[in-house]
Amino acid sequence: MSIKLPAPVQRFTTDLDEPLQQGVYRSALRDERLAAILGASLGILFSICFVTGLYSHLQQNPVSWFPIQPRPAGFYRLSQGLHVVAGIASMPVLIAKLWLVWPRFAAFPVAKRFSNIVERIGLFPLVAGGIFMTFSGVANIAQWYPWKFSFTASHYWMAWVTMGSIVAHVGAKWVIARRALARPSRRPALADADPELGTTAETASDTGLSRRGLLATVAAASGVLTLTTIGQTIRPLRKLGFLAPRDPTVGPQGYPVNRGAANAGVVDLANSPLYRLEISGRVARPMSLTLDQLRALPAHDTVLPIACVEGWSYSAPWSGVRVRDLLAMAGAEPNRTILLESLEPQGAYRTSTLNSEQAADRDTLLATQLDGEPLALDHGFPCRLIAPNRPGVLQTKWVTKLVVL
Amino acid sequence: MNAEHRAGPLFWASAAAGWLVIAWGLRGVFQHSLDTRPANLARFVVGGALLHDLIVAPLVIVAGVLIARAVPGRARAVVQGALAVSGIVALFSYPLVRAYGLAANNPTSLPHNYTANLLIVLGVVWAVAAGLVIVRLRTPA
Repeated sequence: MSIKLPAPVQRFTTDLDEPLQQGVYRSALRDERLAAILGASLGILFSICFVTGLYSHLQQNPVSWFPIQPRPAGFYRLSQGLHVVAGIASMPVLIAKLWLVWPRFAAFPVAKRFSNIVERIGLFPLVAGGIFMTFSGVANIAQWYPWKFSFTASHYWMAWVTMGSIVAHVGAKWVIARRALARPSRRPALADADPELGTTAETASDTGLSRRGLLATVAAASGVLTLTTIGQTIRPLRKLGFLAPRDPTVGPQGYPVNRGAANAGVVDLANSPLYRLEISGRVARPMSLTLDQLRALPAHDTVLPIACVEGWSYSAPWSGVRVRDLLAMAGAEPNRTILLESLEPQGAYRTSTLNSEQAADRDTLLATQLDGEPLALDHGFPCRLIAPNRPGVLQTKWVTKLVVL
Repeated sequence: MNAEHRAGPLFWASAAAGWLVIAWGLRGVFQHSLDTRPANLARFVVGGALLHDLIVAPLVIVAGVLIARAVPGRARAVVQGALAVSGIVALFSYPLVRAYGLAANNPTSLPHNYTANLLIVLGVVWAVAAGLVIVRLRTPA
């Protein structure tokens, strides 16, 4: 291409066929190997987020071809904890990667061949998607909603857009990245090219951050963010949770909640002597139990986690009636889906379903007690569902109906 | 030179697969438009990228140049690293410090004083940085 640019423009723009370090972008950190290392790390972290995010989606939007198993009991706690930890840890890696490759944004000419055009169009959803996924995720766990859309729906569908862009990008960069990663890290050529840098750009340099220093900085930032937030799901580390949006020991009865009784509009309904637990649907003997009748039934104790989609969790001892015992009492048809309804008049999570495996599990309870005390109003008094391997939003509170579908 | 830059079958296969997945995602956005609010979503998706590419990144680049001039050689790397970590941690903490989540009437949301906590975390970062600088200044060149 023989377009003659004015000299200042030429200095600030870059040639796509030349290495990252060119023109006015002289930092030794603008290096293909570093870009590949950061890119691979980002790919791994985003892939962890994608797989765990898909699982969370399938938990909340059950499909017949992937019935959620109730065991291991702590599986969702692990997977969603991993989702949020990986998402937070990816933030510094993304920021560093974007900084490093930014000179490509200022490329002129914009493309030199057709494959350039295809590749560079793919950078729009990649950069925009990556930034959006990280920003929306971090905002959500801080309960900040500066937008009008539903976080759940947008975060989910943009995840596909971002993942597709990653697939295209990996294919576009595969050859150059493999070559850059296979190179031995000591590069005498760089020292020859720029004597100012001293022996190599790898070791501690007197002129600024070395390549190893940049990676150490990114690792340090990810480490700080992880350590100061992971205490919201890993209890022994909670004292380090300076920047954790939730503390697993703070709340009514010493446990956090997401939606309190007042917010859900259930205070009067839950306290009312007219409260009944109704069991209906495909049952031989439809039942309507008062709270006293529910409490009189044989109770079962279990220790199960509440694991929020926002990445915090706690484990607690619950006591209540087994759902399968209630269904047996009512003469329910076997192997049916069970619908639970809350006293909540409205809200996206006022109902949830149990598949037949979940309903039959020995630890799936309608809990009336937490930690040996009657359930607090904010925790779902008169009773709430507690089941193994289940997101917090689906552990329905203020349960008033069991319907056998 | 041309052979080195020619895009091979892996390029085109990944592009095809990737764009199919992108299309699937966009289809979902528009199919569920009542929830995803595409116009508002687009503002944030496009806005985030533009904000970074046109404003944040150039500012960071300029800041890097200024720091390189202001900070003496032996301490420069540590200061650059500590500033980067500080900036990222502060960016992450922004919604916590602003306490937007307190408006949700959730009794257990945002239980800490995040402004104080952020300052503590940054204090630790710079204490470590100061230690590293002292070690560097003591080590013979």
